[in-house]
Amino acid sequence: MSVPTSAHSRAVTARLRGVHKSYGPVRVLDLPELDLYGGEVVGVVGENGAGKSTLIGTLAGSVHRDGGDIDIDGVPLAPGSTEAAARLGIAMVSQEFPLVGQLSVAENLLLGRRPRQTRRRVLLDRAASHAEAEAMLTEIGLDPRAIGVHREVRSLPVPTRQMIEIAKAWGREPKLLILDEPTSALGPVEAEMVLGLARQAAKRGGTVLFIGHRLDEVRAISDRVLVLRNGRLVADLTPEEATEARLIREMVGGEINRTQPRPPAVDAPVSLRLRALTADGLGPVDLEVLAGEIVGVAGLMGSGRSRLIHTVAGAQPATGGTMTVAGAPYAPRDPGDGVAAGIAMIPEDRKEQSLVLFAPVSDNVTVSILRRIAAHGLLRPGRQREEARRIADSVHVRMQSVEQPMGSLSGGNQQRAIFGRAFATRPRLLLLDEPTRGVDVGAKAEIYELIDRAAADGMAVLVASSELEELQLICHRIAVMCRGRVAAILRHQDATKERIMTAAAGAAFAEATPLTQVIPDSDGIPHTDGAAQ
Amino acid sequence: MSAQSTLPPQTPITPSVTSTGTRLLRRLAESPEAGVVIACVVVFIAISANASTYASVGNLQVMGRDLSQTGILAIGESLVILTGGIDLSVGALAGLAGILAAWFNVNAGMPAPAAILLTLVVCAAVGTWHGTMVTKLNVPPFVITLVTYTTAQGLSLAITSGTPINGIDPLFSNLSSYYIQQVPVPALFFFGVAAIAWFALERTYVGRQIYAVGGNREAARLAGIPTGRRITSTYIASAVLAGVVGVLVIGRMNVADPSVGPGWELVAIAAAVVGGVSLFGGEGRIIGVAAGAILLEFIANGLLALHVSPYYQQVVQGLVLGIAILLDRLRASYFGRGRR
Repeated sequence: MSVPTSAHSRAVTARLRGVHKSYGPVRVLDLPELDLYGGEVVGVVGENGAGKSTLIGTLAGSVHRDGGDIDIDGVPLAPGSTEAAARLGIAMVSQEFPLVGQLSVAENLLLGRRPRQTRRRVLLDRAASHAEAEAMLTEIGLDPRAIGVHREVRSLPVPTRQMIEIAKAWGREPKLLILDEPTSALGPVEAEMVLGLARQAAKRGGTVLFIGHRLDEVRAISDRVLVLRNGRLVADLTPEEATEARLIREMVGGEINRTQPRPPAVDAPVSLRLRALTADGLGPVDLEVLAGEIVGVAGLMGSGRSRLIHTVAGAQPATGGTMTVAGAPYAPRDPGDGVAAGIAMIPEDRKEQSLVLFAPVSDNVTVSILRRIAAHGLLRPGRQREEARRIADSVHVRMQSVEQPMGSLSGGNQQRAIFGRAFATRPRLLLLDEPTRGVDVGAKAEIYELIDRAAADGMAVLVASSELEELQLICHRIAVMCRGRVAAILRHQDATKERIMTAAAGAAFAEATPLTQVIPDSDGIPHTDGAAQ
Repeated sequence: MSAQSTLPPQTPITPSVTSTGTRLLRRLAESPEAGVVIACVVVFIAISANASTYASVGNLQVMGRDLSQTGILAIGESLVILTGGIDLSVGALAGLAGILAAWFNVNAGMPAPAAILLTLVVCAAVGTWHGTMVTKLNVPPFVITLVTYTTAQGLSLAITSGTPINGIDPLFSNLSSYYIQQVPVPALFFFGVAAIAWFALERTYVGRQIYAVGGNREAARLAGIPTGRRITSTYIASAVLAGVVGVLVIGRMNVADPSVGPGWELVAIAAAVVGGVSLFGGEGRIIGVAAGAILLEFIANGLLALHVSPYYQQVVQGLVLGIAILLDRLRASYFGRGRR
């Protein structure tokens, strides 16, 4: 949609023309034209991967844009330089705070610069630093005496660190202040403070770019709401237009053509049963997955998607509740217990968490079954190669030989090899975290086939993904997470994007709409397993 | 903005409301340096009570001279460790620096001051090389300084063909054998270097930025701190201090012996760790390093005074290091999860 012609008589702070950025073949940001005006709070919303982070990254200089021009107050901004962005008056408060834990609050607030009230160029002026740090904290409404500017940052709780990060950006008196989900780590009182600061910055004539996932918050604070989808600006709304229903509709776009629901799971035994499962930042969660069933886990960033997967795998300790796998109690202390119970996990980050890229394909795919293919504890290279070849063929890894390094394969091939390795252990339960991250479209379809095949072979599959289309396509049911809990469990045919997003965005909106019937009763018994036990 | 009333409930209570006494105790427990300083005092008193010669002026002078060697190396080493690196070359480089200074003086006929200066310049070049490789090419510090360790040790032997260089200028031994008010000059070097390092780290912007680089390099980079230059500067300081030690050592022995030096880097690293410097970077203070070096010297010399078998001396030194690391980890896990 186009920029509304409402009375923007104020000066343009940031002018973006033809700004774009691609990662590989995927264009993650494509903005032909965008102007940000002084004195306004601009809310930015969008799904995971809609391009929000890339947009603010290009503005703050932490992402090197591929092309296009950005002018800040008429001065062109060099791409990919945080220093240049800072010089032009752009300050960003990011979600993970770049603070130095070992240094004091004052030193962090003045990191990389000297206090204004000092004449010393080399020697530290501790008094001036502390005075300025205290002034910066007071400026954003904190009591410096209660925090203590001399204290080490790491001794402070997370919300206070977030406020320090905000004070750090605020102290630079930015023309363009970027707040990236600033309230996600904060309680309601501090969140209100931050919203107040955003308004104050706009009142001073600055521009605030407010990235949020709590739609109510974005609506409350913004003078203008931008909606991104697939890297494009799809809506530029006034606060009146930006109702939550409208925002959700714009965020998810048109529904994709749903494939024919695949044959539902047969009346199968329960493979995984979670009862009031809790862990750090998770739960209580009740969930059941049948053998041969594919259950998706949807949710926004930080909703506990990955945590659920990791807790079931034993990679993160559970703090309460019970789990059973195929009817047997299961209390993992580490991922090894998970493997012993017949669980295979395919983690999110292929390169960091799954593969040794410089090692040959054969070593990579056989690492999980070395014990089985060893004869009396001794490995025979011939047998290992043969098994590797068999595994690679079973998942159609395209390669010249099993001796070539893993890193020389394409992303999709690497991912298939990981699936092959997981299948080789003949697991009962397959846990997937972002199974198609970083693979191209063609390879995605093949991975969906592999997941289908796993379910058809009787494995239970729990798959967490930030891509809703993917979950809608492959899952029998989708559990939607919100703030560590399962907010809704939707059946394949009910799982429209709109419903998923509504549940993910929070219960407040869900209760106000006639969608409550998709939220299961409190015991969370899914639809198919009347007799299953 | 309603200011004070909106404070987060999680905001911890300020230390200023607790009494001064508990505050002091807590600060002592929180600071790793306090433990080392107390250990120094306890060890000194315990050994001097059991060995009559231990606290004598003569023995104290010996310890002071020893300190000028491993102590100065430890200070340079801890600068590098603060940035999250390690410098394995300091011992071998100190040895090579002694040989070079002697060779410039005796074989090349340079006056002693010029020989010393040239030696320090060579050391600075080595430090620059380390820093450049680490910051520009991302070579692991362990590897690049191991290369220098091996090369320097070999060069020392190659230059001298394995035989010590005799006949060095009296200036060298004067540097090492003079006393000021019964305090040996090398010990003054140690305290001087410690004071300068303390001042640079605690009282200059560059020093604080070195802590920031070691604590969170990404945060430092985003804040516009020249991280590469800060890291390189610590390698240069470490190498130059190794050169200083080399010059002091040949003066003390009045001969440049190519077998001296290698192995000292381990004592230097141990002193830094005992003194509370985190091997992960960003943490530790010079006062702790100095106390760590003094503690190790007290123990090493004390074991001699107590006539402990030399074989057991190393065992004891290993145990001290082990206990120091254990206490440091326990303290760190008790006072927060800052470093891992």
